[in-house]
Amino acid sequence: MMNSNEIIDDIANKEYEFGFTTDIEMDIAPPGLNEDIIRFISAKKNEPEWLLEWRLKGFAAFKKMQFPKWQHFEMPELDLQALSYYAAPKKKKQLNSLDEVDPELLATFEKLGIPLNEQKALTGVAVDAVFDSVSVATTFKGKLKEMGVIFCSFGEAVQEYPDLVKKYLGTVVPHSDNIFAALNSAVFSDGSFTYIPKGVRCPMELSTYFRINAQNTGQFERTLIVADEGSYVSYLEGCTAPMRDENQLHAAVVELVALDHAEIKYSTVQNWYPGDKDGKGGIYNFVTKRGICKGNASKISWTQVETGSAITWKYPSVILQGDYSEGEFYSVAVVRNKQIADTGTKIHHIGKGTKSRIISKGISAGRGDNSYRGLVAVGPRADNARNFTQCDSLLIGNDCGSHTFPYIESRNKTAMIEHEATTSKIGEDQIFYLNARGIDTEKAVALIVNGYVKEVLNQLPMEFAVEAQKLLSITLEGSVG
Amino acid sequence: MTSDITLPFYQALTTDVNALSACQAQDELQGIRREALERFAVLGLPTLKTEAWRYSNIQRYLKEFPYELLYATTTVPAATIAQTAIPELDSYRIVLVNGHLQADLSELPAGKGITIGALSAHTQAPGFTTWFNKQHHLAQESLATLNTALFADGLYIELAANTVIDKPVHIVHVYTTTQHAFIQPRHLWVLNRNAAATIIETSVHPDAGAVTFTNSVLETVVEENAELWHYNIQQGDQHFREVHTTAAQQQANSRYHHFNFTLPGTPFTRNNLSVALNGSNTETNLNGLYIANESQHVDNHTFMDHIMPNCNSNELYKGVLLDNANGVFTGRILVHREAQKTNAFQQNNNLLLGTKADINSQPQLEIYADDVKCSHGFTAGQFSEESMFYLRSRGIGEDAAKALMVNAFSHDITDAVKVPALQHYLQEQIAAIMNN
Repeated sequence: MMNSNEIIDDIANKEYEFGFTTDIEMDIAPPGLNEDIIRFISAKKNEPEWLLEWRLKGFAAFKKMQFPKWQHFEMPELDLQALSYYAAPKKKKQLNSLDEVDPELLATFEKLGIPLNEQKALTGVAVDAVFDSVSVATTFKGKLKEMGVIFCSFGEAVQEYPDLVKKYLGTVVPHSDNIFAALNSAVFSDGSFTYIPKGVRCPMELSTYFRINAQNTGQFERTLIVADEGSYVSYLEGCTAPMRDENQLHAAVVELVALDHAEIKYSTVQNWYPGDKDGKGGIYNFVTKRGICKGNASKISWTQVETGSAITWKYPSVILQGDYSEGEFYSVAVVRNKQIADTGTKIHHIGKGTKSRIISKGISAGRGDNSYRGLVAVGPRADNARNFTQCDSLLIGNDCGSHTFPYIESRNKTAMIEHEATTSKIGEDQIFYLNARGIDTEKAVALIVNGYVKEVLNQLPMEFAVEAQKLLSITLEGSVG
Repeated sequence: MTSDITLPFYQALTTDVNALSACQAQDELQGIRREALERFAVLGLPTLKTEAWRYSNIQRYLKEFPYELLYATTTVPAATIAQTAIPELDSYRIVLVNGHLQADLSELPAGKGITIGALSAHTQAPGFTTWFNKQHHLAQESLATLNTALFADGLYIELAANTVIDKPVHIVHVYTTTQHAFIQPRHLWVLNRNAAATIIETSVHPDAGAVTFTNSVLETVVEENAELWHYNIQQGDQHFREVHTTAAQQQANSRYHHFNFTLPGTPFTRNNLSVALNGSNTETNLNGLYIANESQHVDNHTFMDHIMPNCNSNELYKGVLLDNANGVFTGRILVHREAQKTNAFQQNNNLLLGTKADINSQPQLEIYADDVKCSHGFTAGQFSEESMFYLRSRGIGEDAAKALMVNAFSHDITDAVKVPALQHYLQEQIAAIMNN
C-alpha cells in the first residue's frame, strides 16, 4: 500500500495517457495573422460577403486590444503570428457511411473511446466529430432532420441556413468581446451549429468531440446553439488531444441562445494535453462561453469537468434576460503538475424572478494552481432574483494553490444572494475512518474525491457521467482514484 | 502652513516639491518621505480601473471641492468635545484636532511604561525607529504612501513590556477646518511583550463652513503575547470625507480584536484594514458593522495576511444599507505556503433595505498551504417575510419591527463589544438610526 506522500507524488508525476498523434495529410495555411489569411479562410470556406465583413470587423477589434493582465497566472508568451490559422483534412469525396471515413481517423477515435459506429445507436448519441476544425463525419442526421433539428458543422450552416446564422452569430459574444473572442471571430475555422425548432425536445444527446492535432495549429471553433420557444436540447462536448511539446492555443467561442421556455444543457469534459510534469507543452484553453436566456422562463445550464490543458481560462456565463429565467453552472476543475485553471462563471440577473445556482469544485494537486473567479450581478430590474453559490476547494499536497475570487454586485433590495466558499485538505479523520474499515488510503482518497465531486457529476447526462468518472479516476488514479 | 493643490491631484502632488518641503522640519524622515512620494508617483491616485478601488470612485470626491493640504494646528474649546462623551464610560481621554494632540483637553493615562504623545515628538523613540512605516502592505496602497510622504502629525502610543492600561483609552478625533482641506494624520501604536490595552476612537466634526477630507494612516504593532482591543466608531458629517488605513502587525501568541462601526453621516468612507501575522499562535478578530443611509458610500477593504503557521482569524462584517446607500466589502485572506494549520474564516452579511441601495462584495481566498481550514460566506437580502409577519401580528408597527430586526442583525457585532458602556452606546445609536 502506498502512503499518502507516494500517492501525491504519483499524481504529480502521472503521464498523460492519451498522447499519440495521427498522420493524416493536412491542408495547412502558411503561418501568420493578417487580413489576407482571413480572406483566404473565408474564400476556402466559400463564405458569403457579410460573414467576411464580420470576420474583418473582429480582426479590427482584435488589433486594438491587448492581452489582459488581471488573471491569476503568468500569461505565457503567445506568438500569434507564428500560428497557422487554417488546417483541414484534405477534401475527400462525399461519404455515405462510416466505412468510407479514413480508417486511421476512426482508429484514433477508437483509442479515445469514442465509438463512432453503430454502438451510437444504442447509446443514443449523435456525433459531429470535429477533427482539426473541419467536420468529417456526422451521424443520426436523418433522424434529427425528421424533427426539424439542425445539427451540423458551422461551415455547412453558413451555406444552408445563412439567415439563422446571421440572425444569431455574435449576439451573445460580440466580435469585440475580448481579445480571444475577437481573434476567434476573425479566424474561426469551423465548429458546430445547432437549432432546435419550436416545441421540439431533442430526442438524443448531441455531442461533438474536439481534437487538436496538427502542430502549430491554433483551433478556433465557433459553436452556436439556438433553442427556439419551448424546446430542449442537451449538448455534450468532450476533448482529448495528443501529446505535443509545443503549446497549442485553443480559443473557441460558444454562444447559446434560449428563447421563451427553452432549455439548453451544455456539458463539457475537457482532457487536453496538460504538458509534462515540468509544465512543458500543453494546451492553452482560452475559451469564451456565454449563453443568453432571452426568453421568459428559459434555462441554460453549464456543466464542466476540466482535467486537462496546461492553462484552462474560461468563464461560461449566463445572461438572464428573460423574466423567471434560470442559469446554472456546475464545475469540477482538477489541476496537477504545473497546470493552471482560472475558471468560474458570470451570471447577470436582468429579468424579474431570475434564479441561478453555481457549484464549483476545485481540486489542486502537485504544483497546480486553481482559481475560481466569478461574478453574480443583480440589476435593478431583477426583482426577487435568487442566487446560490458554493465554491469548494480541495488541496492535495503542499505545493499547490487554490484561490477564490468572487464578485458579487446587487442593485436590487428584493434579491437574495448567498455565497459560500471553503478550502481544506482531505481530513485525516476521514481517511482514518475508511482505513479502519479495511479500505486502503488510495481507495479512500478516491472515494472521498468521488463524493466531493458527485454533486457536479450528477448533472452530466448518463453517457457522459460514466466517461467523466473514468476521466477523473484516470487523472487521479494509481494516485488517488 | 498650507500649500495649494489643484486637481488632477496626481500631477499636482508629484510635481509640487513645495508640498514636500512643507514637511521638511523632521529631517530624519526625509528619506522615508521621498521614497513614499516616489512610490505614490508609481501607483498614482486610484481610479475605477484600479482593482482595489473598482467600486469606489475617490476621484469624484476629490474633485468635489478645491481641497488644500493643511498642516496647521488648531485648537477647540472644551465644549466641542463634551458632546462626544460616551455615557458612563470610565476612560482616559486623548483629544486630537485634525490629527494634532490637544493636551489641555486630554487626560492621559500615567504610569510606568506608558508613552503617549504627538508622533512628531517621538521620532527618536525606540518603538518609532523599530516600527514606523514597516508594514509592507502600506506600500501597496497609494493613499497610504501619500500619507507617509506628506503627513503632519498624529498620535504615538507605546506600551512597554508587561504594561497594562487599567481603563479604556478614548481617542476623540476632532476634524474642523475653515477652508476645504485635505489632511493626513499619521498614528503609530506599539504594544510590547505582554502589554494590553483597549482603545476606543470616535470623532466629532464641528461645522466651520468647510469640507474636510482626511487620509489617515494608523500602524499598530501587537508584540508577543500582547493584546489589543481596538474600537473605531465612525460617525461623520455631511462636510467630512474619509479614507482610513489601518495596518496591523501581530507577533507570536498575540491577540488583536478590531471593531469598525461606520454609522450614517459621512458621504464617503473608505477603510483599508490589513493584518500581517508575523508570528505563530495568534488570534485575530475583525468585526465590522456598517449602517449607511441617503447616498452614503461605505467601502471596507480588508486583508488578512497569514504568513506564519498555527494562526486563527475570524472576520465578520455586517451591513445595513438604507435609501440610496452604496456598500462595498472586500475581504482578502492570503495563506502563505508556510502558514500550515491556519484557520481563517470570513463572513459578510448585508441587509439591503433601500430601493436604490446596492452592495458590491469581493470575498477572496488565496491559499498556498494545504493543511488549512478557510472559508468565506456572503449573503445579501431582505428581512424574511415570516419574521416580519410574526412581529407585525403581535402588534408591532412596521418601522419598529424593522428596527428590532436590524438590532438583532447587528447583535453579532455589538455583542462582541467588551466595554459595556460602549456596547450600550452603540445599541442606542443603531436604534436611533432605525427610528428616524
